[in-house]
Amino acid sequence: MSSAVLTTDRIILDGTARTREEAIEEGARLLEAAGAVTADYAAAMHEREALTSTYMGSHLAIPHGTNEAKAAILASAMTVVRYAEPIDWAGNPVRVVACIAGKDGGHMAVLSSLALVFSDEAAVEQLLAAPDAASVLALLGDVNDAGE
Amino acid sequence: MTTTSAPPVKPNARVRVQRFGTFLSGMIMPNIAAFIAWGFITAFFIQTGWTPVPALGGFPSADGTENLGLVGPMITYLLPLLIANTGGRMVYGTRGGVVASIATMGVIVGTTIPMFIGAMIMGPLAAWLMKKVDALWAGKIRAGFEMLVDNFSAGILGFLLAIAGFFGMAPVVTLLSNALGEGARFLTETGLLPLASLVIEPGKVLFLNNAINQGVLTPLGIQEAQETGKSILFLLEANAGPGLGLLLAFTFFGVGIARASAPGAIIIQFLGGIHEIYFPYVLMKPLLIVALIGGGMTGIATNLLLDGGLRAPASPGSIFAILLQTASDSYVSVILSVILSATVTFLIASVILRSSRKRDLAALEDKGDAFTSAVDQNSANKGRESDVSRLLGTDAAAAGATTDVRIQNIVFACDAGMGSSAMGATVLRKKLKDAGVEGVTVTNKAIANLDADADLVITHQDLTPRAEQAAPGAVHVSVDNFMSSPTYDDVVQRVRAQQAQ
Repeated sequence: MSSAVLTTDRIILDGTARTREEAIEEGARLLEAAGAVTADYAAAMHEREALTSTYMGSHLAIPHGTNEAKAAILASAMTVVRYAEPIDWAGNPVRVVACIAGKDGGHMAVLSSLALVFSDEAAVEQLLAAPDAASVLALLGDVNDAGE
Repeated sequence: MTTTSAPPVKPNARVRVQRFGTFLSGMIMPNIAAFIAWGFITAFFIQTGWTPVPALGGFPSADGTENLGLVGPMITYLLPLLIANTGGRMVYGTRGGVVASIATMGVIVGTTIPMFIGAMIMGPLAAWLMKKVDALWAGKIRAGFEMLVDNFSAGILGFLLAIAGFFGMAPVVTLLSNALGEGARFLTETGLLPLASLVIEPGKVLFLNNAINQGVLTPLGIQEAQETGKSILFLLEANAGPGLGLLLAFTFFGVGIARASAPGAIIIQFLGGIHEIYFPYVLMKPLLIVALIGGGMTGIATNLLLDGGLRAPASPGSIFAILLQTASDSYVSVILSVILSATVTFLIASVILRSSRKRDLAALEDKGDAFTSAVDQNSANKGRESDVSRLLGTDAAAAGATTDVRIQNIVFACDAGMGSSAMGATVLRKKLKDAGVEGVTVTNKAIANLDADADLVITHQDLTPRAEQAAPGAVHVSVDNFMSSPTYDDVVQRVRAQQAQ
């Protein structure tokens, strides 16, 4: 079930967005294209962002919808978009934007591996330098397979 | 434990008793409204009520149709289940409340007696067992399967406990009920009447009042009344005096919700004759049973001396019903017995309430409402703090009913509980594991779902005030960076230091 949450077509290494809003849109479109969310989800992501920044530290932000927007989620999915230049995320520099659509906790495994990768500086460097989507997925997948 | 500096301190007996009492009131007091609602419904609609309605009161209609009514199901199911759920929640959050309710349902259906004592035992017990069961595989479930495992483990445990309650708990309580009834019968038949209060009053507050009155006292009383025209036995349980005295004592010397609700409860009890309404007040301060026994004995002694009695059972035990059934030569005796028993109960209960009033008030001020939240064992550790010694409970003694808090349950909280908190929990779990710390669970939740079970709550600094409101008893820690916060290392160190002791 977790293998379908993040796939190579949802990993983009050269994101085009320049602002936080654009990055959220970019991620939302990917989620929508994956059939994971309805068109309403993007608005909920902006709303959630306004509430508190989803900046996590270590160049990572994880935009997602509000608790009330769960109806807009069709399936669990995650996107990972990397940006060459840091995006200004409410005052923090962000290089990786992982948009999350979580349904019934199906996204937890990938989210956990994401957390483990981003709490380890060396792993962050590896991810920022990864040459292609497959190696990013491998980086996240490896951690996932190793369990907690 | 106020002066010692050697943590962790074992709470002494007094603190344990206090904590037990606080736990009881925490289980009962939030549900007082339900008792009041039930009291009104009963006072109005039962056959002997103010405005009898067969369909609501649960007695046969004029045409002979049987009615289920509201009164019976509410006291049989609703009230015990509410108590069980609250008790379960206090032990183990919403999850504990659910399992507690399932298990208590088995106890309820296993017998015909209202199962308050069963609910008060089974509710917390079931939640505690759920907590233990969860601890077996905490942190070992593969991510994504938590929901499945949680639901089925709770469902299966509830299923087993309901059956255990059905066959195990119910006979015990039935036995207790019969024993009390037999005790009352023995004391009545041997003429040691005032001593009957020793079993009648505790039996009453355990909601065995009808079993004792209708099962034992009324049949014996009817026998006596047929011979002499009146019987004192009708007044043994139905005397409205002790309940009135108790509620008056709460009106003057109680604190919080108990004090505020006592005057209304008097209307339901004294005028409406629904004695059950005062039972919760005793259940949350069991020592008060002494006051009721004293009042009950006084009433019985008065009627023995003055030869007072009722012509027929007073049902319900309202002052009006009592006066209606008073034998024509017994008005002075019966009225006096009610007044005197109320006075004696009031005096004893006042002493008891006043002796603990200071502490109750302090708890009230400290927590907003002693009855709903003093149950929180972590009361001394509220608020944000960063001092290791406080975490270890070394100076956590100020309020008397506190405990030394060991951090065992760390909860990451965020708005929806699906994003940042999950990541933070993952990172901290790994750090604890790397540090070789065991016996500490780290979970993630939405702030709205926080409960008293959390020892330490970690939130984003923007959300900490909300989290503090949601879980006032826990220690709160803020982070601004979920991925590499130095706060995590602090937490790991604290837990390690604590475990090293």
